[in-house]
Amino acid sequence: MTSQKNWGVLAEFANPAELLHAAQELHKLGYRKFETWSPFPIHGMDDAMGLTGSKVPWLTLGGGLTGLTIGLLLQWWTGAVDYPLVIGGKPYFAWQFATPVTFELSILLSAFGTVFGMFALNGLPRPYHPLDRVARFRRVTDDGFFLSVEVADPLFDMERTHNQLAELGGAHITVVEDK
Amino acid sequence: MSDTSPHNKESIFPPPFVAGKHDFHSITEAICGVVEKPLNINWILALGVAGTVMAMLFASIGYLFWEGTGIWGLNNPVGWGWAIVNFVFWVGIGHAGTLISAVLFLFRQKWRTAINRFAEAMTIFAVICALVFPGIHVGRVWAAYWMLPIPNQMAMWPNFRSPLLWDVFAVSTYFTVSLLFWYVGLVPDLATLRDRAKSKLAFWSYGLFSLGWRGANRHWQNYERAYMLLAALATPLVLSVHTIVSFDFAVSVLPGWHTTIFPPYFVAGAIFSGFAMVLTLAVPSRKLFGLEDFITIRHIENMNKIILVTGTLVGYAYAMEFFIAWYSGSPYEGFAFINRAFGPYWWAYLAMVSCNVISPQFFWSKKMRTNLTVTFILSIFVNIGMWFERFVITMTLHRDFLPSSWDYYAPTVYDMSTFLGSFGLFFTLFILFLKFLPAVAISEVKGVMPQADPHWEGYAHAHHAVSNAVSNKEAH
Amino acid sequence: MGHANTFNEDAKLPEAAAKRAQTIALACAVVGLGASFGGGLLGLFGGDAKELHHQFYFSWLTAFFFFTTLSLGGLFFTILHHLVRASWSTGLRRIAENLAMNIPLMAACALVLSMGFGDVYHWTHIDPAKDPIFAVKEPYLNVGFFTIRAVVFFALWAVLAFFFRKNSVAQDGAQSAESASAFNFKMRRLAPLSMLAFALSLTFFSFDWLMSLDPHWFSTMFGVYVFAGTVVALFATLILSVLWLTRNNAVSTDTLTIGVFHDAGKLMFGFTVFWTYITFSQYYLIWYANIPEETGWFMHRAQGGWEHVGLLIAVGHFILPFWTIMSRHVKRNRFMLGLVAGWMLFMHFVDLYFVIMPTHHHHLHLHWLDLTTFVGVGGVFLMGFLFWCKRDALVARKDPQLTASTGYDNV
Repeated sequence: MTSQKNWGVLAEFANPAELLHAAQELHKLGYRKFETWSPFPIHGMDDAMGLTGSKVPWLTLGGGLTGLTIGLLLQWWTGAVDYPLVIGGKPYFAWQFATPVTFELSILLSAFGTVFGMFALNGLPRPYHPLDRVARFRRVTDDGFFLSVEVADPLFDMERTHNQLAELGGAHITVVEDK
Repeated sequence: MSDTSPHNKESIFPPPFVAGKHDFHSITEAICGVVEKPLNINWILALGVAGTVMAMLFASIGYLFWEGTGIWGLNNPVGWGWAIVNFVFWVGIGHAGTLISAVLFLFRQKWRTAINRFAEAMTIFAVICALVFPGIHVGRVWAAYWMLPIPNQMAMWPNFRSPLLWDVFAVSTYFTVSLLFWYVGLVPDLATLRDRAKSKLAFWSYGLFSLGWRGANRHWQNYERAYMLLAALATPLVLSVHTIVSFDFAVSVLPGWHTTIFPPYFVAGAIFSGFAMVLTLAVPSRKLFGLEDFITIRHIENMNKIILVTGTLVGYAYAMEFFIAWYSGSPYEGFAFINRAFGPYWWAYLAMVSCNVISPQFFWSKKMRTNLTVTFILSIFVNIGMWFERFVITMTLHRDFLPSSWDYYAPTVYDMSTFLGSFGLFFTLFILFLKFLPAVAISEVKGVMPQADPHWEGYAHAHHAVSNAVSNKEAH
Repeated sequence: MGHANTFNEDAKLPEAAAKRAQTIALACAVVGLGASFGGGLLGLFGGDAKELHHQFYFSWLTAFFFFTTLSLGGLFFTILHHLVRASWSTGLRRIAENLAMNIPLMAACALVLSMGFGDVYHWTHIDPAKDPIFAVKEPYLNVGFFTIRAVVFFALWAVLAFFFRKNSVAQDGAQSAESASAFNFKMRRLAPLSMLAFALSLTFFSFDWLMSLDPHWFSTMFGVYVFAGTVVALFATLILSVLWLTRNNAVSTDTLTIGVFHDAGKLMFGFTVFWTYITFSQYYLIWYANIPEETGWFMHRAQGGWEHVGLLIAVGHFILPFWTIMSRHVKRNRFMLGLVAGWMLFMHFVDLYFVIMPTHHHHLHLHWLDLTTFVGVGGVFLMGFLFWCKRDALVARKDPQLTASTGYDNV
């Protein structure tokens, strides 16, 4: 085993209200490298933690425009350039008949951009996380509301942070180690 | 119309979405419990029956590949038989899932949380069933890849002017996006199952697919955004898919097929049949798996209302078709409709109208809407009616422009075994789903509970106390 | 729920704002109608001016249909609100009810058309013996039956509009939450049947008044197409009305919140997409099948300058608003959403113009009568609308659902 080092502290809160409140206060105190963990998204938490907007929409848009371009080029090039063939008296290429396939490809690639973009932005898949070493933390997907502060935060001080979390109502405050 | 009598006790505001006294943990227990319980004999029996029927599908397909499409009842004017009927039938059923999930999500209809997982699963399995049919009815299955724009030694490309090719793109996109939508919704719940896993196998398999989800708020932020965007993408997608399926018929110049109302009419019909199938599945499953607190009578009633609305829309389309067929003054158009209603297939037309237009009218009454037996029976009627709708449309072919080529189409035993078998495939997948995945979206149900709102009145006191304590400390 | 009576805003239209708007409406009506009737009468003298007479009726039909759809939109919204038991839209309900109350006024405008009926609808003077296609539909398309249907439709809409508004206003005087709720239940009870009647009447109304302009052409989708445009125009009108009422402090922004505004914008967006879907599908199926009995309608509109109007509709009724209203920022900005709403109303007019006017002009020909009839009928419409707005409170004050919509934001 390699040497153990501290990753941060983890505190448990009783309910979404206390977690939200704690996040607000920590943000006010100037902490930035902290995270809240909950079984469902909590309304207002993004503002409480001072997060900026998600970048996912840009990836959606990028995917959509790619799909649009591919759809039009594919139908135009295969039908009007590479192998022109008169079928049913229809033109080799027309925006009208190209609409369905172009639309579907735009949606498909938008969805790819959205889902894979979201996973990428979230850094998933992530098989291991230091918090996995805290047994209580498993309740995060059930009914546990947690808040962690990382050692990497410039304001982090083991004792002070510990106390601040306790004052905010945090219970079972644990030091989390990383390998 | 008893629902409308003003009971003074009835509040003008809707009742809550989760019945019974539940907290976050009991929800986890109730829903995960279904998955974690040891296999029970009824479930094994059900799987056995469904699996046997599914085996019939594969046997029929095997024989079809060996012998060719001649084993079906196809004849010369009717070159499209049950394969297209079944395809449209299954794709239609596959619409409620995404509709419930996406459209109701966008409209902030919180009642969807109880049924969306269920309905999405149904979508995916129905689309799998649907995809079987165009796959096998091409005749020469080994050439099925011609449907895709793959460079080949013939230097040929698919014909993008053909509606059948649009179908390939539409249905496969629909399948892929529905699968992604379902999966994204499942990730947090798979993580719940992972964290509760008792066996190594369960831990690893749920762990693998939950991708290491741990509920970080930064993750939730992107997740919620992505989910909203997917819903926004899926909504036009649902509409487009059945629109494109309707194009298969409507871009032709055949009387009875070529009519402009087809796109919205097909979409309404798809939603109609999809909701009916959700009810057919939900009514017994909620009982079997003890999910009555989540899929409440109110959910059932809401779905019945949607069935009433879409059934009436479908009736509107039937009426418009008939009226315009006459109004157009085109003798061919007129004949196609007279022949539908009074020709050799009058019984199919009658089945279609009575199941699709007349049977949902019972749901005007609140008593009927909230009666589980009635709901279950009527939902099956709607399923039957919607199958007949596609049958009626397809059978327009049997009397074409040239009376000498008119013929009567009758299915063979292989048509029937293939169709029946597709139900086996559907139910096998569904039964597996019920056992191995959470049938109700756990994190979403928790999210719509009043306790999930940090400003819920129950928290007001505690919140205040803590906040005072902290600000006092800060002051020092 | 006991907070039905906590809403104290009296929500009356301030006298000054009402006066100003009424003056403008009256001026529009007088000038517009004066010029239009003048032009139309001039045409009676024949000669070169004869064309004015024909033009007058076509322009009048366009303006009449445009404003009628606003009233019908109001009626649709009212019924829908009760049908789906919405609460967010409670604050908008009265505005929609007031719009619907203009139905009798629009029926009066329809009477003007009766004088030039034969000029507008060619089927009135087709000989069925010489036109076998028309001969089939003659039992439906004849002046007598057309008139009966028109009377039935307008009577039906007027009755519905009166029923909903009467009960709605009566609710304003309710003493308790229970007695107020009773009105909601009463209106909900009639909503489903009303919706059914509305759908069928609007369909045949659009067949009669628009589709039959070309008596050979037909499209099963046509009723849905007119409906879609109507709803887009309705939401645009609602947005502009809300903007006007809140600007003049007739209703506070606590009642008609930015959330309500945002949602109206979302629905305008949704129906714009729906309109595009319906319009494209109708065009597309006819383009692809390319059969002579249908395709002529679009061929006619793809030449003679009309193709530019078609392009304007594609861009202005879909592409522009789609990319604009999609933005949350635009939907939550009163000024910008108001701008888009005004644009959508204009595009709704262009859309109707594209349906109606090519039957009269093979080549695109804008006429001053198009403008004056629009201003005239618009002035009349506005006067009617203001009359109903002034009469009672501008929001359904005692509706128990209003509290759900007043503090409302959707984020």
